[in-house]
Amino acid sequence: MHDADFKIVVIGGSAGSFSVVSNILAAINPDFKIPIVLSLHRLKHLRSGLVEGLSLKSLIKVVEPNDKDKLMPNTVYLAPANYHLFIELDGTVALSTEEAFNHSRPSIDYTLSSAAYVYREKTLGILLTGANKDGAQGIKDIADKNGYTIVQDPLTADIDTMPKAALRLFTPNEVISPKQIVQFLNSLPI
Amino acid sequence: MQDKERESTYKEYLQVLKECSPYDFSEYSDNSIDRRIQKVMQDYNLDMGGLIHKTKTNPQFVEQVVEAITVNTTELFRDPEVWNYLRVKLLPGFKNRPKINIWHAGCSSGQEVYSLMVLLDHLNLLDRCEIFATDISKKALESAKTGQYRYSYNYGKYLENFKASFDEDKAPDFDKYFKADEANDTISVNPDFLKKVKFVKHDLVKGELPFYNRVDLLFCRNVLIYFNSNLQAKIVQRLHDRLFPGGSLILGSHETISGFLNTKFTKKGPVYTRSDAFHFKY
Repeated sequence: MHDADFKIVVIGGSAGSFSVVSNILAAINPDFKIPIVLSLHRLKHLRSGLVEGLSLKSLIKVVEPNDKDKLMPNTVYLAPANYHLFIELDGTVALSTEEAFNHSRPSIDYTLSSAAYVYREKTLGILLTGANKDGAQGIKDIADKNGYTIVQDPLTADIDTMPKAALRLFTPNEVISPKQIVQFLNSLPI
Repeated sequence: MQDKERESTYKEYLQVLKECSPYDFSEYSDNSIDRRIQKVMQDYNLDMGGLIHKTKTNPQFVEQVVEAITVNTTELFRDPEVWNYLRVKLLPGFKNRPKINIWHAGCSSGQEVYSLMVLLDHLNLLDRCEIFATDISKKALESAKTGQYRYSYNYGKYLENFKASFDEDKAPDFDKYFKADEANDTISVNPDFLKKVKFVKHDLVKGELPFYNRVDLLFCRNVLIYFNSNLQAKIVQRLHDRLFPGGSLILGSHETISGFLNTKFTKKGPVYTRSDAFHFKY
């Protein structure tokens, strides 16, 4: 059970996650208030164009934030290519070019852990399909702070390495399909 | 509560560092500095008490801490669209100028210093340039001076960035500027370039500037992101003062100038130009 009073939704995903995220944003309530932060691995040769790609179908504005931008309601924030994205205690975004973590920049672990640190039980973390274990520790950190955690059902994942890595570390609140993830989000009070 | 304690502890440490070393990290961005200090403690197997003791008693260790908590990742032609813009829109504007002063503030291991030199050479402007490059990290500067980078991990990305910084199929040969040696795992910058740059150790936060010139072009990319808003504003003001009116400041792709300082620049593409407009003093 959750108290439904989330301050942030953080979503991590890697291989195969573009279409999942795109479908979530295409079906979400356009008035969805809680800021959504996306930390998605990108294919090396596809550094730009992701924000445009997601914007095509998204019912909510999608932006690549600048450093120190404040998270605003009804907005989707996509970690820029080649930067780590952290959430700071004052609800702003901090970007970093430091070394890749888990071979990844952005690192999903970094984004998710920082959200857990700042928003604790008010954090809703979602981990999707992916070919890498980055994100597993991060979403566990959210659970450890009593945040609410959703892992995509590995059976519905293009590549199940990432969700399975998370399930080996802890038991999330939900293990559900992308369709159920949308239903969950749209069931939250606006 | 644990987190609160952790916060006060690392802030306490920064205070110690400030008092017993020439460095002041107290206005670095919280999250990044906290994480990097945790890592130092892990790597050296120290608790906070041990870290403080070693910092107070061992100046060489302080330098190692500085290396560890400053970020030194960079690449040749990072964000090709920025270099493309500079090549087409900004740099040609210097073709009738007898002299171009350039400062790379926070140059790290020098990849962007050399990236710019490639474009300047390509536009026949390099001879008239005076180039300063500064960084807080001695180790990074040593690496910058050698102009030598690892082939593995880098070559593919560097070559791709290089090509993307020119019009399609119009890029000069990569070999003209860089010698890629897979067997020795090196990419070496053209030796003529190395002599042309004055690399100087300098802490943007505290140090007096090691040169007097004002500059036409100032690169400070992905440095400000490690500072808190207050310190960012201070540093941007200093950078502004170092620019000739009409001079250009190039920041990282996701860095911006906010607040009042924003009115002292006009922004076009990725370039902030120091505006000549009159400003009231408050």
